[in-house]
Amino acid sequence: MKRHLSFVVVAGWGLFNGILLAVLAVYGENSIVYWLWGGAVVLLELAAVAVLASSRSGPDQHVRYRVPDRAAGAVVPIAFGFLLIALAFVYGWWLLALAGPLLLVAVALAVRGTTAREE
Amino acid sequence: MTVAPPTEKSDIGGRPVPPSGWLGWVTSTDHKRIGLLTAGTSFVLFVGMGTLALTMRAQLAQPEQELVSSHLYNQLFTIHGSGMIYLVFTPFALGMGVYLVPLQIGAPGIAMARLTLLGYWFYALGAAVMLAGFATPLRAHADGWFSYPPMADSVHSPGTGTDLWIAGVFLATTGTIIMGWTVLRKRTYGMTMLRLPVFSWSMIVSCLMVIGAFPALLAALGLLAVGRADPSMFDQNVWNIGYQHLFWFYGHPVVYVMFFPYLAAVAEVLAVFSGRRFFGYKGTVLSLLVFAALSMSVWGHHMFATGQATNDYYSLTSIALLVPAGVEYFAMVGTILGGRLRLAPPMLFALAFIPQFLIGGLTGIMVGTPVIDYHVTDSYFVVAHLHYVLFAGSAFGLFGAVYFWFPKVTGVMLGHRLGRLRFWLLVLGTNVTFLPMFALGYLGMPRRISSYASFEGFGWLNLLSSIGAAFLAAAMTVFAVNVLWTLRKRTLGSAEKAPDDPWGGHTLEWATSSPPPRLNFTPDHPVPPVTSFAPLLDLRQKQKEETAADRSRP
Amino acid sequence: MKQRHIFGDVLALLGYALLRRRAGRQVTASERSERPRLEAYYVGVLVAFAAFLVAWTAWQNQREHESAARPPVRVDVSSFLWCWAFSYPQAPERRTVSGSCRGDDLPTLVVPTGHPVQLRLTSRDVIHSLWVPHLRYKMDAFPHHVNTFTLTLDREGRWMGKCAEFCGQRHRTMHFWIKAVSPEEYDKWLQGQQGAAV
Repeated sequence: MKRHLSFVVVAGWGLFNGILLAVLAVYGENSIVYWLWGGAVVLLELAAVAVLASSRSGPDQHVRYRVPDRAAGAVVPIAFGFLLIALAFVYGWWLLALAGPLLLVAVALAVRGTTAREE
Repeated sequence: MTVAPPTEKSDIGGRPVPPSGWLGWVTSTDHKRIGLLTAGTSFVLFVGMGTLALTMRAQLAQPEQELVSSHLYNQLFTIHGSGMIYLVFTPFALGMGVYLVPLQIGAPGIAMARLTLLGYWFYALGAAVMLAGFATPLRAHADGWFSYPPMADSVHSPGTGTDLWIAGVFLATTGTIIMGWTVLRKRTYGMTMLRLPVFSWSMIVSCLMVIGAFPALLAALGLLAVGRADPSMFDQNVWNIGYQHLFWFYGHPVVYVMFFPYLAAVAEVLAVFSGRRFFGYKGTVLSLLVFAALSMSVWGHHMFATGQATNDYYSLTSIALLVPAGVEYFAMVGTILGGRLRLAPPMLFALAFIPQFLIGGLTGIMVGTPVIDYHVTDSYFVVAHLHYVLFAGSAFGLFGAVYFWFPKVTGVMLGHRLGRLRFWLLVLGTNVTFLPMFALGYLGMPRRISSYASFEGFGWLNLLSSIGAAFLAAAMTVFAVNVLWTLRKRTLGSAEKAPDDPWGGHTLEWATSSPPPRLNFTPDHPVPPVTSFAPLLDLRQKQKEETAADRSRP
Repeated sequence: MKQRHIFGDVLALLGYALLRRRAGRQVTASERSERPRLEAYYVGVLVAFAAFLVAWTAWQNQREHESAARPPVRVDVSSFLWCWAFSYPQAPERRTVSGSCRGDDLPTLVVPTGHPVQLRLTSRDVIHSLWVPHLRYKMDAFPHHVNTFTLTLDREGRWMGKCAEFCGQRHRTMHFWIKAVSPEEYDKWLQGQQGAAV
C-alpha cells in the first residue's frame, strides 16, 4: 500500500469520479454525459496503471538519476510539423506536402540523436 | 545522489552550443528553462490580453460609445477570455510546476523532459495561430471563449479566424496536456508522498484534472470543426447541448487548474512568512483531492439556464464544494493566526488573496444555486465572479509567487519598494474594477454587450469600473518596470544579489543556489535530509535545539 | 445572508492576525502543525451546513418549477437574429407580435396579471436567452428544442427583457418589453380590439 501510494492516489481519485458519476446516474442525465465522464474515468484508471507500472519498475525514492536529453533537437521540427498539420485543416491539405518532409527531417534528427550540448 | 549528466561522452551527435545562445534555449531539456519559457511566454500574452481588456473598459466607460465597432469588440472579449484562460493562467500554472516540482522533490530534472519541451512548443505555436486570426480578412474569432454552436458554425461565424481559433486552442491545449502528464509522471520519484510540499501536491491534483478533463475540450473542438465543415449537424439539438456538456466538462475543472497551483503558492508563502509550518497539512492535501474530484462533477451549473441539465445534482455537488474549500481556508487562516507575520511583498499578495478569493468563492456558491443563477448567469455578475476568482484570486497568487520565487529563479532580489507600490495599486484597481460589476449584473447588464443605452442607468458604475482598470494598467506598468529594471541591473552586475534562502524557506528549492545549477543540486549544495514536508524548517529547528543544548552545557 | 457572515468572520480573523501577530510585536510562531480534533469538528459543521443548503436549494428549485394549478396562458416565444416574436395560440385567430429591435421598434409580450403564463421558448437560428431582470429569471432559447417555463406577474407594469446569450452583431440591442395588464384588458387585447394594450 505504502509503496504504491502514488498509484492508490490516482486510481482512488478516478474511482471517486466513478462514484460521483453513479450518483448522477440516480438523478438521470443526457446519455452523452455517461460516455463523457465514463471515458474520463477509464482514462484516469489507465493513467493509474501507467503510474503503477512505473513505480513497480523502479524504487519510490530515487538516488540514482539519468537525465537524458538525446535528440532534443528534434522537438522543434516536430512541433512545427504538427503546426502545419493543424493549419492544413484550415487552409487545405496541400500543407501536408510541407508537413510530411518536415516530420521526416524531425525523425531523422531524432534517430541521429541531434541535440544542443549544454555545458 | 548520483547523477548521470545529460549528453554523456558516449552520446553521439551533440553539437556544443553556448548555454545562453538561442539554440540552447529552444532545445533545452532543462526543466527550469522550459518552465521559464512557459512562464515568460504566458506573461507576454498576459500583457497583450490585458491590453484588449483595457480597450473594452474604455469602450464601456460611457453609454453609447463607438470607440471600437461591435464586431471588433466581439473579437476583443473573445480573444481576451480565450487568451487568458487557454494561454495565460493554465500554462503559467503548469510552467510553474515544471520549474518548481523537480526542485521541491530534490530531483535533478523532470521525468520526460523532451516531451515537456514539445508541450511548450505546441502551446507557443498554438498561441501564435490563435492570434493570427486578427490578420485574416474577416478578423479574429468573435464568439466568446466557449463558442457555442450553432453561433460558432460556418454560417453564423464565417471566416478563417474561427478556424484558426480552433486550431490554436487545440494545439495549445494538447501542449498543456503533455506538460501536465510529465509533472504527474515525475511524482513517483523523490520523497514519500506525505512529505511532498503543498505546492507539489497541488500540481499532482491539477494534473489529475488535466488528464481527466482536458481531452473533453479537444473533443468539443473536434465537434466544432466537423460542424463547421457540415453546418447541418447543428440542426440537431443533441449536438448543440452535447457541445455544451463537452465544453463545460473541461471548462469547470480548468478553472481549478488555474487556481490550485496559485492557492498552493499562497499557502507556501503564508507558511514561510508566518515563520511556521503550514497548518493542517494532511487536511489540506485531502481536501485538494476531494475538491478536484468534485470539480469534475459540477460542470452542469454552467448550464442551469439551458433547461436541459440535471439542476438538482449539479447544485448538490456545487454546494458540496464548500466543504473542501472551507478546510483550505481553515488551514490558511490557521497558519497566519499562530504565526509571526513578516509583511514582505510576497506575503502582501498572499494576504490579499484570502479575502478577495473568498468573494469569488462565495459568489460561486451563489451562482451554483439554480434559483439565483437563473437571474445572474450570463450577466455582469458572472463577469465579476469569474474575475474575482481568476484575477483577485489566481493572479494575486501568481504575483505573490513571482515575488516569492524571483530571487531563486534569477539570483537577484526584486525591488521591494516598487513591489509595495505595485501591490496597493493592484488591490485598489482590482476591487474598483470588479466590485461594481456585481451590481451591474444584478441590475440587468448582460455580458458581452459592446455598448449600452444611457437610460439603463449603467453609466456611473461602468465609469467607476473603467477608472479601476486604469489603476490596474498602472500597477502592471510598475511591475513591468520593476522586473525589467532589476533584470537590467543584473546584467550590469549592480543588482542586489539574492542569497540561497532569502525568506527562510521551508522546501528543498531554497537549499540549492540561486539560480539553481543545471542539475539542481551539487555536492556544494546537496539535498538536505527530508524529514517532513518542510525539511528546511526541520533543519533550522534542529540546529537551534543543538545550539541551545550546547549553551546549556557548562 | 450567510455569505456575508462568512466573509465577515474571515475578515475579522485576518484583521486580528495582522494586528496582533506581526513580527514587530515580539510574538513567537506556533510550533503546532495540526489540530486533528478541531479540524474534524469543523468539517462536521461544514458538512451539516452544506447538507442544509442542498436541501434548501432543491426545495427552492422545486418551487420555482412547480406547475400551476390553473391552466396557464400559453405564449410561444420565438427568438431569431436579432429580435423576438411572441404568438398567442389561444387567441381566436393566431396572433403574432414581432419587431426588428432597431431603435424603438421593440416587440411587446403582453401577459395578464395574476395568471400563470407558460412561455414556450425556442429559436430559429442560434442560441438566445430570454432574460427579464425585473423577474430575476432567464431561460435559454435553443434551436430545434422547446424550453418551457411558467411565470406569474402580480402587478401591472412594463419591464424590459433582454437577450442574455451572446448572439453576434446586434446582441446588445435584442430587447423586448414585457407588459402585464389586467385579465380583462388582456382578454380584450387578445380579441384584437383596438385601443387595448400595445
